[in-house]
Amino acid sequence: MIEAVGLTKRYGDKTAVDALSFTVRPGQVTGFLGPNGAGKSTTMRMIVGLDHPTAGRVTVNGKSYAQHRAPLGEVGTLLEAKAVHTGRSARNHLLALGATHGIGRRRVDEVVEMTGLASVATKRAGKFSLGMGQRLGIAAAMLGDPHTLILDEPVNGLDPEGVLWVRTLLRHLASEGRTVFLSSHLMSEMALTADHLVVVGRGRLIADAPVAEIVARAQTNLVRVRTPQAHALEQALTAQGHAVTSVERDLLEVAGATTAHIAETALRAGVAVHELSAVQASLEDAYMRLTADDVEYHSAPVADATTRVPAGSAR
Amino acid sequence: MSAATAVRAAVAPARPRTPVQPVTFGRLVASEWIKLRSLRSTWWSLGIAELLLVAFGVLQTWGTATDPANFGSGVAQQGAAFVTGGWVLTQLVVCTLGVLAISGEYGTGQIRSTLTAEPRRVPVLLAKAVVLAGTVFAASLLAVAVAWAGSSVWFADLGVSIDLSDPSDLRVVLGTPLYLATVTLLGFAFGALLRSSAGGIATVLGLLLVLENAVLLIPGRLVQVIAPFLPSRAGSLVLQDDGSLDATEMWADIQGAHVPVLGPWEGYAVLVAWVVVLLGLAALLLRRRDA
Repeated sequence: MIEAVGLTKRYGDKTAVDALSFTVRPGQVTGFLGPNGAGKSTTMRMIVGLDHPTAGRVTVNGKSYAQHRAPLGEVGTLLEAKAVHTGRSARNHLLALGATHGIGRRRVDEVVEMTGLASVATKRAGKFSLGMGQRLGIAAAMLGDPHTLILDEPVNGLDPEGVLWVRTLLRHLASEGRTVFLSSHLMSEMALTADHLVVVGRGRLIADAPVAEIVARAQTNLVRVRTPQAHALEQALTAQGHAVTSVERDLLEVAGATTAHIAETALRAGVAVHELSAVQASLEDAYMRLTADDVEYHSAPVADATTRVPAGSAR
Repeated sequence: MSAATAVRAAVAPARPRTPVQPVTFGRLVASEWIKLRSLRSTWWSLGIAELLLVAFGVLQTWGTATDPANFGSGVAQQGAAFVTGGWVLTQLVVCTLGVLAISGEYGTGQIRSTLTAEPRRVPVLLAKAVVLAGTVFAASLLAVAVAWAGSSVWFADLGVSIDLSDPSDLRVVLGTPLYLATVTLLGFAFGALLRSSAGGIATVLGLLLVLENAVLLIPGRLVQVIAPFLPSRAGSLVLQDDGSLDATEMWADIQGAHVPVLGPWEGYAVLVAWVVVLLGLAALLLRRRDA
């Protein structure tokens, strides 16, 4: 259980984290989502006491991180920036880290085995690829068999097999009743891994809700109909008071009507329907909509690329 | 085996939860000892330190013994000074080791792992200091012993000896490792304050090599009063034999200036004070700064 209350971090006159309050509960995977520069990493560093908050506080399992006498047994941390001496072997890194908590060789060998590092454990960490570095970071986080895991971009640099492994591991840990808090800017990853989302933009809380609720919030109730007799169907639906937009010559978007209702209307009007589908809001859409105003680094619109494509030929 | 069963199999043995003990100072020392000995740079530094101490001791004794100019005439130095002469260069090596012990953690990001394991922070600094000082003391004591054994064959030619029941000899033989261990901590303190390898090494070597020598060229009264309290000048008094100390005192008298003359242990205490103040400052900043 992680509880942040009014957590704030200012660097000079720049506010990285702005009065952030949220709770991360055990037994589920909570995603920490936001565009680059939204303050995710700073927030995670404050949770484990590496950065001091300018205001507010954050506790882990009821105490501030520094008050735990065996912090590695409470919280496992994987930070985005590397946190390993490049001249030390993976195994010695874990042995040194474990020694502070009386954790010995057996557990070190266990996490080395578990993260698939056995063949490279005696190699210096400086020679590791990004993916192996991430695995070592996860091994370090699991060392104390902690109740709570805080992982900053854990799948960064992992190959597809590694991504699947992390996803399965995190889901499994949450199912054991542990608290799992992971940050990502990858929506697709969150959609597959997280149960609950804390969404931030420019250091502020944008949403704190279950994944399903956030997707539902972005629902548009739009239905797409493709028909060669678009004009006839448009008339029939407009007559019933539905808002209809003509997207392409043979494609309509209907607001406020179910697919069943549209199909029946078309049947009565004698209109052939080639395609009929409710527009599903994806988590991606929901996220874009939520953070649209809170992206710190806007990309310039790719104007040329879109205008050069002739309408209708895109599919 | 699917990814899911692989994970289950790997996590399952941990079901009776891994026993985790509270962080204690002893455990931090154990951790820092693993860290120190698992880096190649440590072994390079210690190896060079050993080599310098042994080679200097043996070569100086051999050179003096075989130089006809010294034959028959009494040698001013006592035996202990012959086997510890390598300290001047060795201090530069161990200072660098001291800086790197902490600046290397900042440079690589290791410090974040270190401080998440001990969020109270300051005990980490002390554990590192204990391990560093202990290691350098043991290594230099060994080197002095080897240098002694290696050069003792010429002692008879030179008419010198080392007698550990003589307070002056004992102080030189033990004072050399003690001085080197303490000056290592001086480097360590600068590394902790500056959090940069280049900055830390430049500062501590600049202090020992440049500042302490440059000061001698400045005649001002104020400078003459301050100079004896510079860390190496003061601290190295502990590894000089009574003969050298008397000579220093005489030289001060000849100059006529009333400059402070420190005894060997007073001088060492001054060096310790430097280390304590700098480490205290480093501890204060370690608590305050974001890692």
